Amino acid sequence: MSGTTGNDDVYEDRFIPYINKWGRRTSLLAVALSFGPAVALFVIFGIIPPTQAIIAAFASVAVTFGSAWVVEPLSYYPVLGIPGTYMAFLSGNISNLRLPCAAAAQESTDVEPGTPQASIISTVAIAASIFVNTVMLGIGAVALVSVFRALPDLAKTALESYLVPAVFGAIFAQFGRDYPKVAGIGLTLALIMTLLLELGYLAFLPSYPLYAVIVVSVFGTILAARWMWQRDMIEPPDEGEAE
Amino acid sequence: MIWHRLVTAVPAYMDVANSRWLWISTLPVVMVVLSQAAIFLRRAWRDGKEMGLSEDRLRSGFKTGVISALGPSVAVLAGMLALIATIGGPVAWMRLSVIGSVAFELPAAELGVSQFGYSLGDPNISQRAYATAVWAMTLGGTGWLLVAAFGTRHMEKAREKISNGNEKLIPIISSAAMLGAFAYFLSGEATAGTPETGSIAVGGLVMLALLRLADSRDIQWIREWALGGAMLVGLVVGTALQLTVGSWW
Repeated sequence: MSGTTGNDDVYEDRFIPYINKWGRRTSLLAVALSFGPAVALFVIFGIIPPTQAIIAAFASVAVTFGSAWVVEPLSYYPVLGIPGTYMAFLSGNISNLRLPCAAAAQESTDVEPGTPQASIISTVAIAASIFVNTVMLGIGAVALVSVFRALPDLAKTALESYLVPAVFGAIFAQFGRDYPKVAGIGLTLALIMTLLLELGYLAFLPSYPLYAVIVVSVFGTILAARWMWQRDMIEPPDEGEAE
Repeated sequence: MIWHRLVTAVPAYMDVANSRWLWISTLPVVMVVLSQAAIFLRRAWRDGKEMGLSEDRLRSGFKTGVISALGPSVAVLAGMLALIATIGGPVAWMRLSVIGSVAFELPAAELGVSQFGYSLGDPNISQRAYATAVWAMTLGGTGWLLVAAFGTRHMEKAREKISNGNEKLIPIISSAAMLGAFAYFLSGEATAGTPETGSIAVGGLVMLALLRLADSRDIQWIREWALGGAMLVGLVVGTALQLTVGSWW
């Protein structure tokens, strides 16, 4: 791995300001343009719902997902970095697509997570994943619908149900390899919180408390790792053995 | 349009939902997503080289991104069928290329049509109810975009606080964040049933085996394909478990 002296300047002083500038511009442009279909329905077809229906629908969505708007960017930021956060929240499909691609690329190029190099590699990998999935979904929406309809139910269930858990298991194992103790703590925290949620013990929290599970899993694991590092119980893999 | 002939009892709004105008209206925002990716990629490539990342490593990162995106994209496509059947091809494509995921768009669309007492899949959903679903998805999706647009540059402070400015701690924090996030994702899947749990376990084990093999022999292409391989085996094992033992919980 190359040294970081001097590189931080290119990253901090030139790359990140550029990304912040264009990240904000493109995100806001996307907010405006995402109204395209809603506007087309009104302008071309003259279909516009009553204002109170729009407000009521938005209010229900905000109650259900409002906490995720803040919790998700905050929780995934330490993983995605600055460029990754702009790209992942613009393009969506974060857990099943963007994070796995970024993580796999960091592994294949052997960069240390959290470093500027890792952030560059994530940027490259997430950009690649955006090209692939936009094109595949475009072709799919236009041409492959009939092919997919013709697939046996078994194949459809397999794709819909079991591909994503396999990805989750694989990425968890990849990072757990370097920090098995942290992995154990993270998994325990997340499982306990998920079970508490499903059994209804988190009902005292406002709205649907999925956010509590995310926050405890991510930040609980971070704090546990910091605590263990301060007591020399874990160390980054590059210092101990040669990878 | 292909699906017109395939869907039986097509609701009236589907003519509008799959119209050429709606396809055209989705193009600008999808172009923004692609442009942002292109702008970031170009800059990352250039600055990455200046930071000492070789052309080979950058290319390997890009290749791994492409390979790892193939499987999940097919899975998203499978999930998109449900959206295409309910909100039409163009909006489904746009919502899943920009911002959303099936897990958000379906409930948001449902909340939209429910304002008029319908449920997704009802054959007689009115055009206004359909438009409300489109508005609900659009407005709901902007939440994440606005937080990302205005919040991202301030998030570094939170991270610095956690690491107390300690450089050596940063890789550990990042890995711990990744482990915490994926522990959360996989807990949700594991509680869904035995096949999902088997799929997680096998995906993890295959990944470990492939990475160990790649390390011991120093074979780069195995690293690039590791996630793809783990996905495929996990998928097969999940399906096999579903067919043989079913789910115990």
